[in-house]
Amino acid sequence: MSWVWRWLFPRWLRSGRVMIGLALVLPVLVLAALAPLVAPHDPQAQDLMLTLQPVRLGSPFPLGTDVLGRCVLSRLLHGASLALWVAVMASLGAMLLGTALAYAAGYLGGWVDWVIGRAVDVWMSFPPVVLSLILMVGLGTGSTSVILAITLVDWTRFCRVMRAEVMLVARCEHVAAARLLGLSHWRTLLREVVPATIPLLVTLLALEMGIAVVVEAILSFVGMGVRPDQVAWGQMIADGRDALYQAPANLLAPVAAIIVTVAGFNLLGDGLRRTLDVRLVEGAR
Amino acid sequence: MTQGSLLVARGLSVEARVEGERVPVLRGLNFALAPGRVLGLVGESGAGKSMVGRAIAQLMPPGFRVSHGTMEFAGADLVAMPAEHRRALLGRDIAFIPQNPQAALNPMRTIGAQLDEHHRRLGVRGRRVLRQYALAALAAVQLPDPAGMLARHPHQLSDGQCQLVLIAMAFAGRPKLVVADEPTTALDVTMQARIVGLMQALQQAHGTAVLFITHDLRLAAGICDEVAVMYAGDIVEIGPAAEVVRASRHPYTKCLQLSNPSFAGARRALYALPEHMPGLRALGRLNGCRFAPRCPVKAEYCLRSEPPLEGEAHRSACLRPGLVPAITVASSLAPAPWRPAGETPVLEMAGVSKRFATGSWLRRGQMEAVRDVSLRIAPGEFVAVVGESGSGKSTLGRLVVGLEQPSDGRIVLAGQDVTAGDEAARLHRIASVQMVFQDPQAALNPRQRVSDIITQALEARNARFRVREKRARELLAEMGMALELGVRTPAQLSGGQRQRVNIARALCNGPRLLVADEIVSGLDVSVQAQLLALLHRLRQDHDFALLFISHDLSVVRHLCDRVLVMHQGAIVEEGPTETVFGWPRHHCTKALLAAVPRG
Amino acid sequence: MNLVASFARRLLAAGLILLVASVLLFAALRVLPVDPAGMSIPPAATPAEIEEARRQMGFDRALPAQYAIWLGHMLSGDFGRSVHLGRPVASLLAEAVPATVELALLAMAIAGILGLSGGLLLFVLRAEGGRGEAGEAIAETGTVLLMSVPAFLWALLFILVFGVVLEALPFTGRLDADLARPVVTGFLLLDTLLVADTAAFLSAMRHMVLPAFALGIAVAPPVMRVLGASLIDVYHSDYIRQARLRGLSETRVLLGHALRNAALPTLSVLGRHFAFLLGGSLLVEVIFSYPGMGSLMLDAVRNADLPVIQAVGLTYCAVVLAVNTVVGGLYLGLSPRPMPG
Repeated sequence: MSWVWRWLFPRWLRSGRVMIGLALVLPVLVLAALAPLVAPHDPQAQDLMLTLQPVRLGSPFPLGTDVLGRCVLSRLLHGASLALWVAVMASLGAMLLGTALAYAAGYLGGWVDWVIGRAVDVWMSFPPVVLSLILMVGLGTGSTSVILAITLVDWTRFCRVMRAEVMLVARCEHVAAARLLGLSHWRTLLREVVPATIPLLVTLLALEMGIAVVVEAILSFVGMGVRPDQVAWGQMIADGRDALYQAPANLLAPVAAIIVTVAGFNLLGDGLRRTLDVRLVEGAR
Repeated sequence: MTQGSLLVARGLSVEARVEGERVPVLRGLNFALAPGRVLGLVGESGAGKSMVGRAIAQLMPPGFRVSHGTMEFAGADLVAMPAEHRRALLGRDIAFIPQNPQAALNPMRTIGAQLDEHHRRLGVRGRRVLRQYALAALAAVQLPDPAGMLARHPHQLSDGQCQLVLIAMAFAGRPKLVVADEPTTALDVTMQARIVGLMQALQQAHGTAVLFITHDLRLAAGICDEVAVMYAGDIVEIGPAAEVVRASRHPYTKCLQLSNPSFAGARRALYALPEHMPGLRALGRLNGCRFAPRCPVKAEYCLRSEPPLEGEAHRSACLRPGLVPAITVASSLAPAPWRPAGETPVLEMAGVSKRFATGSWLRRGQMEAVRDVSLRIAPGEFVAVVGESGSGKSTLGRLVVGLEQPSDGRIVLAGQDVTAGDEAARLHRIASVQMVFQDPQAALNPRQRVSDIITQALEARNARFRVREKRARELLAEMGMALELGVRTPAQLSGGQRQRVNIARALCNGPRLLVADEIVSGLDVSVQAQLLALLHRLRQDHDFALLFISHDLSVVRHLCDRVLVMHQGAIVEEGPTETVFGWPRHHCTKALLAAVPRG
Repeated sequence: MNLVASFARRLLAAGLILLVASVLLFAALRVLPVDPAGMSIPPAATPAEIEEARRQMGFDRALPAQYAIWLGHMLSGDFGRSVHLGRPVASLLAEAVPATVELALLAMAIAGILGLSGGLLLFVLRAEGGRGEAGEAIAETGTVLLMSVPAFLWALLFILVFGVVLEALPFTGRLDADLARPVVTGFLLLDTLLVADTAAFLSAMRHMVLPAFALGIAVAPPVMRVLGASLIDVYHSDYIRQARLRGLSETRVLLGHALRNAALPTLSVLGRHFAFLLGGSLLVEVIFSYPGMGSLMLDAVRNADLPVIQAVGLTYCAVVLAVNTVVGGLYLGLSPRPMPG
């Protein structure tokens, strides 16, 4: 029976943090994916007769309505859908760009490393929020622009951290040994260097998703994010500020949603960092 | 016998909590150290010798604790003593000299600040007085430029200099007991000799008792009055140093000596003890004599009952001590295989130099790691390169293999010029020369299976899976490793096994030349003996030359036909091993030879 | 000598990075699908004025030439004129920069204090040995949860709790509306002290409490973690063990060795997070209607006011680089070895 246990709970899962993180993230992911099916109303449907309804769980508007009579719950679910779509795509984009450059810099060294290192320095001298805003000016509104903006800003985060890791691994003698035995640069990279860096990559990816959710919320909050006909949590927060006295759920619901989602990703990333790395550390003892 | 002794261990037992089990690490140790005497505690890694030092200070790692027995210092039990009393003794009456000198000093404070802190604890007051004490301490250990040294930070000193500072601090309080835990293991050979000489001088001058913990039996025998040999948590033999070495009464002690390549006398085979010392977890499950599984003279009853430590001044824990003198090895080694004369040298280097750029982009400098080196290696020849750290021997190895490109000169490998380092050179090198790296931890990919690692050369040629598996099995058998080890990862192997995997990988394609960079350094003596025996055997069965880089002259004498001595990048002396070691001409060679401990 | 030379080198490097950053900024706003010309010219201009402005800014020339013109203007102090507000950008910056810097520094101080105390707490909890394992896990999870709330949400929550519900602290602007604003250096706290106007000083402080805390709490968790982790690392090190073997008391070990060695990585983390802090300050300023660079930038972005965007963007960059250089210099001063990375 122990194999059942081991299959259900592989080593990377055996951490309180990973489990709590997944417990927070998975439901959000599921709800976000199924939003069009699960949401009780059309998120853009206005009903000016029923504005700022309070929270009443049994009613047709479980979380009430906003200043234009739109269902808060439906908007929350569709906002989740958008937030996670942006988070996943942007994180993957930042990861691909940043990691590719990190491998190049760490493995090839020399002037390639120098150029990429200086590029990262320049990029990181801008506060990320400021740079994303500026890029949004150029890219225009819409979820694709947000994804692109986050990718172009956050690749540096991946690059800097992964580069250090790649350099550490590339200096190990088994990499040199592989070259001596006749493996090409590509093969050496793929067989000797990349596998050692995957745990860190997964961790960074999880953390980046949390960051992407926040950045998207910020951009939508200031009106520079998605288009007005799309629903975003940041937007809901901006609208909810005005309705604070009459219907606080307008503000608190998206705030809670952001915190829960980001906390979930952070716990997941943090827990994975320990379980994925510990596996190697323990083996080495 | 223990009257008037300074340090007395009575039935000292330490146990550890490993994965829920209670494992005995030290079992009922009994020894006594008289004031002003030197006791050596000798054992391989895992024998528990460092734990004795920790037990004295009562600074045990988490999960370890003293379960029975006492450790008395000047009559008072250190284990039962309240922590405050014990702390008062540390640094004053009991001092410690650590294994890793540079790591043992605070990297962010100057040497002077740390010396002052120590002196202040000893009761010295006043800035000027403190400075005088600090200067005096550094002068006592013969450090040059004491005033300048005080203002420096540890990373600006060499390991040897850091160790001298730590020795100064240890003896500053005129301690009654100094515990030295492998104080020379991390140091250069010549520095080792200097440290040991200094410690002896200070010990005699102040009448300090010293507990000298080491893995080197010959070293201990040379400087200690008494020696205790430890194995798997027990003291298996204890007595006057000369007697323990010359008239050993325990098989392990005898085997240990026979495993060590000797420096004097005829070249002989090494005794290779099978397997290795039981690890922490295995210790709990053993009955009977812990050494019995590996013992050459064991009997049935040895596996069932534990032998007690018995005797007078010279005690041993063996049920058959009379058989020990009969343990011997073949007196001579198998000769090197015959080779026809006039073959093309497998390696030829002419006027090779390697310069490295140093400094930042504002101030470029040059460092010459290898200077105008010319050498020749005939096929099948085992040639050693010796020298201190920084002499350029590692760079030389890397130049041969192609990890570095020469700044000047020519390198010809098996008849083909590979100086250019282009693709053709690279292809030729892959087939002709391979390197065995020093640290198997970093040299083996921790995520790959052993059989994949050793056939990596075939992977480059896209060999089929079955071909690779077959070759892996062949190589494992040659290395004397069980076939089931093929599916394990390096993390699941012992140090000796990992090094064999390292060698197997290099031999997969049958290179003409192997470059081995310090491959037996840092290994236990018995494991080292196993590997050297393996290399001798491989030499009989295969056709390869060996460029053996090492700092250990006894190993070199045992293994290699010719030796090259390097100093500051240049070869200062070369010739047949016996000739160079017997009649050294260059002062560096003489210094290296003088530093070898002759027990 | 060495210290001065390294500092000078850092300053030079920072200057070069600023230069390259300006290129990046310039390129981002020209290359992306947006009309820079339209963004630099007031909407109510006549066609002739538009043509003249275009020629002046070099829109009829190649990209590098445009950059050169812009750079030349910037270096000679002409930051252009705000399209939206009509005022010279330099004067807008002179008002906004001190406000933001003041807020950021106060927030950094709060982050430092919170981070240090939190880090020590984390360390003490962890050092309790086996018993503390549960405590350690909870404390670490707590840290991660704290990190999951971005600065702008803290700001909103603070407004909700302290501003609306409790009505304890103000949450708009820099000063009470009825107080006069002394202008000497531009740093309000400093100015009020210089003219000895205690009422204004207190008012200014009260206005800065909420935004500074919102920012500080957002940046404190990484500091806490690094300090906690550094202390653990330091305590496992060989030199601490050797210090104990020399008989030093635990207090001496903590004060003389551990804290000092652990403080250094903490300092470098604090410095590195300044960029994030500054980014967070943008939104926090907007939420609190605090008249700093953030509000200025957001207005400019919403109104497509190119000169302001460029100038403020570059100023953000300059502030980050300045702080990094100072932190790097501090690190050099305290540590015998240079800062990694």
